[in-house]
Formats: sequence, structure tokens, C-alpha cells
Amino acid sequence: MQQALYAFLMILLTVACFLMMAKLYARLAFSFLIPVLTSTFLIIVILVACKIPYESYMEGGKWINSLLGPAVVALAFPLYKQREFLKKHLVLIIGNVAIAGFVGMVSVALIAKSFHLDHSLSLSILPKSVTTPVAMAVADGLGGRASMAIVGVMIAGIFGTMLAPYIFRLFGVESSVGRGIALGSASHALGTSKAAEYNELAFSMASVSMTLNAIMSSLLGPIIAWLLLS
Amino acid sequence: MFSYIGTVIQNFFHLIIPGSIIGLILLFLCLCLKVVPVQLIDQGAGFLLSILTLLFVPMTVGIMKYPFLLSWQGLLLFAAVLVSTILTIGISGLSSQFFEKSAEKRKEDQKCNKRYTHSS
Repeated sequence: MQQALYAFLMILLTVACFLMMAKLYARLAFSFLIPVLTSTFLIIVILVACKIPYESYMEGGKWINSLLGPAVVALAFPLYKQREFLKKHLVLIIGNVAIAGFVGMVSVALIAKSFHLDHSLSLSILPKSVTTPVAMAVADGLGGRASMAIVGVMIAGIFGTMLAPYIFRLFGVESSVGRGIALGSASHALGTSKAAEYNELAFSMASVSMTLNAIMSSLLGPIIAWLLLS
Repeated sequence: MFSYIGTVIQNFFHLIIPGSIIGLILLFLCLCLKVVPVQLIDQGAGFLLSILTLLFVPMTVGIMKYPFLLSWQGLLLFAAVLVSTILTIGISGLSSQFFEKSAEKRKEDQKCNKRYTHSS
């Protein structure tokens, strides 16, 4: 009973923090303050201050986490709504997601190598642009550590989403298609939800890119790891 | 529900692609083939997608388990991922935009050509 109450409290804490930060974000409209980042920070501060270990936080957190799978499945819905557009531009999308996946993995491999990063760490962050469950599986298959893969994925997701508006301005990327593909294939589901802020087209582009990138990276990952990190 | 089916399929075939992605593809196919009516998932999917970022929070809080990130290696790792992500977003955004525009241009050219052949 007490445990259930505890779990409930943790869920409440998460949702409350998130809603508060979402409101703040809506009011200030400042892309550095994306709710995921600010509420993560706030929750960590609260947990540390109250000396609650992560494991007991996850008693509640795992319930929220368990909705993540169905939510990813639900991305099929915007895809379906844009199916005509997808059919027409299939080659464009596949080609660009392949470019994105390739650039993403090769660049992180080369940078990690030039930094002399630990070998198993480099392998773990190789699939950083892929949605978490895939990244864990890929890193594991490559001989990296799944837990480190999550860290890489989170950094790519949070900071990619945060910086994307500035990057788009810098490089002059204005089309919804370009923005959607870039966000989906570099910052997976977090980028996809950022793309939803632009318009429906960017949103579905991003969710297609995320899906395709997940599939391609699980095939491409071993090859790049073998070529660049062995 | 589709997520569950996806996971079952994943376990069955020992695939590296996770259940949720398989579920996504399955649901998409079912919608296209009209096996599942759109109205059935409209509300549920809309709701889940509207809280998508909230669902990530517990996982991102997991970063607190890695005080290692404050070390030198952690900083390097952070920098590597960050730079690579910026490159990926910039390059893929540009290339998508470029190819999209050139595809549109080609279509316009084709239209023009047709007009010419008609007039001649």
C-alpha cells in the first residue's frame, strides 16, 4: 500500500514538474527551456535534495515509461495522415535519412576517436541518434554498454532539440520537410515532438525519419563500428 | 496493444528492431489496409502524442545515475555527441531541403516541356 502511494507520488511529481515547465516554456517561448530539460533538471534537484535514489523514483517512473512504447506505436497515426505525401517523396526521404544516419554515426565515431575516448564508450554512443530501445540494442550488439547508450541518446535528443532552431537559422533550412527529416533522424522521438511545433508535415516527416533511421542504423552501425572503431 | 504485439513478434524472431517500431509499422499497414478504422485510434493516439515528451522525463532523469559525466571523459563524450548532433541536423536539414527543391524544379521543367510540345 505504502509503495503504491509512493509510486503515485513520484508520478505526480513528474507530471507536476512537467506541466509547470511546459507552461513556462509556452510563456517565454525560448527554445533553451524545452520542458524535458527543465523538468529533468528540477526533478533531479528535488530527488537529490530529498535524498531519494533513482531506483525508488523509478517505482513511479516506470509507469510513465511503460507508456513510451505505445506512444511510439501511435506515431503511425500522423504517418497515415500524410501517406500520400510520403508515397510521392519516398526516395527523397529514404535518401536523406540515409545521409543523416551516415553523417551522424561517422562523425561521432571520428570525433570520439580523435578525442581518444574509451573504446567501449565510443561504441556505446555510436547509435546516439536512434530512439532509445533501438540504441540500447545496437550498442549492446556492438559490444558497448546499453546504459551509456541511453546517456548518448538523451544528450543527442535534448540538445539537438534545444539547438535545432538556431542550427536551422544558421544553415538557412526553411522547408518543413528539411526540418522534419533533420529533427527525426538526429534527435529521434524528442526531435519528433519538437517538429510537431512547426506543423503536421514536419511532424510526420520526423516520425518517418526516426523510424527509418532506427532500422537503417541497426544495419549500418556494425559496419561503421568495424570500419572506424576497430 | 500494438506495442504488445510488436514485442511478441520481436521476441519471436529475435530481431534487433524493438517492438515499438515493429508495432508502428504494423499499425501503419493496418490503417492503410483499412483493417483498423481510423476513428478507433484517433483519440488515443492523439492523447499519447500530445504527452510524448512527458513520457521521456523518467528516462532522462536517469542521467543522475552517471556522475561520471562530470569527469573529463564524460565531458569529451558530451562534446562528441553534441558536435555530431549539430552536424547531423545541419547537414541532413540542408540536403533534404536541397533535394526537395531540385525535385520540385524538375517537375516544373517537365511541365514546361509538356507545354512546349503541345504548342509545337
